[in-house]
Amino acid sequence: MTETVLRTVDLTKRFGEMTAVDHVDLDVEDGEFRSVIGPNGAGKTTTFNLITGALRPSEGTVEFRGEDITSLPPHERVRRGLGRSFQITNVFSGLTVHENVRLAAQALYAEDLSGVDAMFRDTAEFADINDHTAEILERIGLADRAGERADTLAYGDQRRLEIGLVLAYDPALVMLDEPTAGMSSEDSWATIDLIEDVLADKSLMLIEHDIDLVMEVSDRITVLTRGQELATGTPEEIMADESVREAYLGGVRE
Amino acid sequence: MPGAIDVLEQLVNGLTVGMVYVLLAAGLSVIFGVMDVINFSHGELFALGAYFALSIISPLGGAGFWVALVLAPLLVGVIGMAIERTTIRPLYGRDPLYHILLTFGLVLIIQDLIVLGWGRQQQQLTVPEYLTQPLDLFGVQLSIYSYFMIVVGGLLAVGTWLLLNRTKYGMIVRAGSQDRQMVRNVGIDIDKYYTVVFGFGAALAAVAGIILGGYQNVNPTMGGDAIIPAFIIVVLGGLGSFRGAVYGGLLVGVVQTLLRTYVEPLEGLIVFLLMIGVLLVKPQGLFGQETGGHAEEEGDLFVGTGGGVLSQATRVKLGAVTVGLLALAPPVILTVTGNSFYVSLLNEILIWAIFALSLDFVMGYAGLVSLGHTLFYGVGAYASALVMLHLTSSFLVAILGAILVCAVIAWIVGTLSIRVSGVYFAMITLGFAELFYELVVKFEFTGGSDGLLGFDAVFGLAGLGVPLADIEATLFGMEFGAETAFFYVALALAVLSLLFARRFMNAPFGSVLQSIAESEERTKFIGYDVTTYKRRAFVISGAMAGLAGALLAIDPNTFVISRGQTLHWIHSGEVIVMTILGGMGTLFGPMLGAGVFLGLEELILGYTEQWRMVLGVIFVLFVIFVPRGLVSVPTVIQSRLRGPDEGEPGVTAGDDAEVSADD
Repeated sequence: MTETVLRTVDLTKRFGEMTAVDHVDLDVEDGEFRSVIGPNGAGKTTTFNLITGALRPSEGTVEFRGEDITSLPPHERVRRGLGRSFQITNVFSGLTVHENVRLAAQALYAEDLSGVDAMFRDTAEFADINDHTAEILERIGLADRAGERADTLAYGDQRRLEIGLVLAYDPALVMLDEPTAGMSSEDSWATIDLIEDVLADKSLMLIEHDIDLVMEVSDRITVLTRGQELATGTPEEIMADESVREAYLGGVRE
Repeated sequence: MPGAIDVLEQLVNGLTVGMVYVLLAAGLSVIFGVMDVINFSHGELFALGAYFALSIISPLGGAGFWVALVLAPLLVGVIGMAIERTTIRPLYGRDPLYHILLTFGLVLIIQDLIVLGWGRQQQQLTVPEYLTQPLDLFGVQLSIYSYFMIVVGGLLAVGTWLLLNRTKYGMIVRAGSQDRQMVRNVGIDIDKYYTVVFGFGAALAAVAGIILGGYQNVNPTMGGDAIIPAFIIVVLGGLGSFRGAVYGGLLVGVVQTLLRTYVEPLEGLIVFLLMIGVLLVKPQGLFGQETGGHAEEEGDLFVGTGGGVLSQATRVKLGAVTVGLLALAPPVILTVTGNSFYVSLLNEILIWAIFALSLDFVMGYAGLVSLGHTLFYGVGAYASALVMLHLTSSFLVAILGAILVCAVIAWIVGTLSIRVSGVYFAMITLGFAELFYELVVKFEFTGGSDGLLGFDAVFGLAGLGVPLADIEATLFGMEFGAETAFFYVALALAVLSLLFARRFMNAPFGSVLQSIAESEERTKFIGYDVTTYKRRAFVISGAMAGLAGALLAIDPNTFVISRGQTLHWIHSGEVIVMTILGGMGTLFGPMLGAGVFLGLEELILGYTEQWRMVLGVIFVLFVIFVPRGLVSVPTVIQSRLRGPDEGEPGVTAGDDAEVSADD
């Protein structure tokens, strides 16, 4: 039996009068590639923010690997293995590629550093952090560009770096918020290939609006409308689901 | 037990002052809400209104008051529009910090212009005689003028409310303050409205200035005195909320007046306590809107130089040469000028260099814009002076004492302030600094408003050592006095502080601070507890500012430590100016900035009384054209020489083109 890595129970978020997320129950299994789709305003991004800790739910709980993380701040969730990537590439643009990855790698070791080391020892002197950094740079194929400033990279390479930042702290589940937003179809597929390649051994949760892409890559898909879960199933099941066609697919295709 | 009539009278008095605040705060708040501009010069526009009225009334007499009440605000409104067009417009899209800096520069300019035009002395604004008659209402005896103020303020507030809520124009402005991008998306050029909004806010401020001028008097500091409470009100009510500005203004006016009469010790403190309290419980202010969890739109913050033209090795060499030259300065100065005046100036520069470095630590690296950093400079100076007065004269103990006290206070202030971010953080730190400014006069041991006197530093420890004032040595026929001895101590401490800070920024802890400045959210999501990192940086920064303050007290040229010289908000502004002038996020830049700032001040003072104005102009130009500061000048020149196709860094709004030497 596979284990559940992420579970939400009655997850609800209200902004004043509006209920953005309405009693959503999700179960993501270990190793699963789950996608969450839905029309604009369906509550995808809010759900995402509730799981990553950017927002606190009005009701309900979030469990990660059997632990209730509902009230933990974002960095504590990251430390427990819940990683996220950003919709708009959000790397440290003024720092070098190496420093970007090194910072993410350092986070993994930060609690083990002594106060004096953390405050005064040169970052170049921490062998394990730097080895880890080198390994990540290798995996995302940016080793030869390590000395360049992140904002001088081409868009695709920034995307790689973004994934590298997520990878560096070795998450069990990676949350991806529309990683292909604003990309051409070709670039989108390249990004998905990168994700499938580099994050193959992780559980993934993808927030996406591109249906074709989602149908292709997901193990299971959850459809949200107006903050509520409409259906969850394999791509085939979702394609066959009448209510989904009506609520979402129909609206977009016509 | 005060009588009901008394209370009623104070209530009306409170409302009159409250109305002035309402008019001031309403403009500030709407300007912030619509264009994210924190307008420090609002107080000066307020003063300008009163001064224009003064000039209009003097040839016309009492009836001229009515002419002035219409004409002066119109004039100030036009000036406000001109200011928006020429100076603020180029900065849209940058971090709100730059508006604070720019408008701080404008404060310096307008203040000096006022003194040039109307002189320093306090003046009386002539009011028509029938307005000054006493009026007996429900047993309360007050002049008609008080009621006149309430009516004028009330009418304008209602009028503004109608304008904002009942006209198409107001709808657009309000929509703009909710979501600017959305207004642009529906095809409205919101930028066109900015000029008018700014001018309107300026005109409201001018009316406030005129009616207060008639109530009290007109003087050059009235703008500086009014701006801080006005800010507090805006933050208290919720940035961008008109309703908040109205309620906040009346509340503060009434509470202030009642306390002055009945609970004297709390007067002056209560506004700041109120603001700090409100921000901690409801960070968006009493009437502020929750943003639905969306991150605030962040503008560009120009940190560091991105490599610059000079290589690391060259910079280290340059630094070493600078320190070497500085070390040689006193004998050269003494030989050439025959007195120690310029050594004293260098001492002052070194103290401010450490202070500016401490600010860069949090502002340039952790993105924490502390608008109240002079709190630590001041507390450091007071602590050091108190140690020397009551404990021991040893300068080492005085310094350690100051650092310790400041670290503790920074921990407390930091813990409370870092819960809010951005503009609110800036305001809450300003609030804390003002709180201390008010507090020191309430106690005996701080010397009240006279300050502390009669302390002398001894260079030594545990009873051994030489009193600083007695240091005199003759070397190669030159007399070295206390100033020179202090100079070497200050130089050593400044260099140590810089090395300490550099070491720190190259270590894991400091590297995280830099990532926070780049993107706070991203830093959180690679697993760092951003709040803890910020707080620690704040404590170190506070301690370092405390060191600068301690040195001020030890400086043989300092005879008195007073609140005006250490805790006044203008010093928080000055140190920010130095930091930006030099180039924030570079550590050595702000120290250079301190030198240039004080050097320029000295230089300009040789030619004109109005040094602040000249400095203000230089500063405004810097914020607009060289936002990365002096350290970026070589890069800017290089890119200009290379040709226009390279783009002009920092000149265009929202343009974050990076200047890089290696492409």
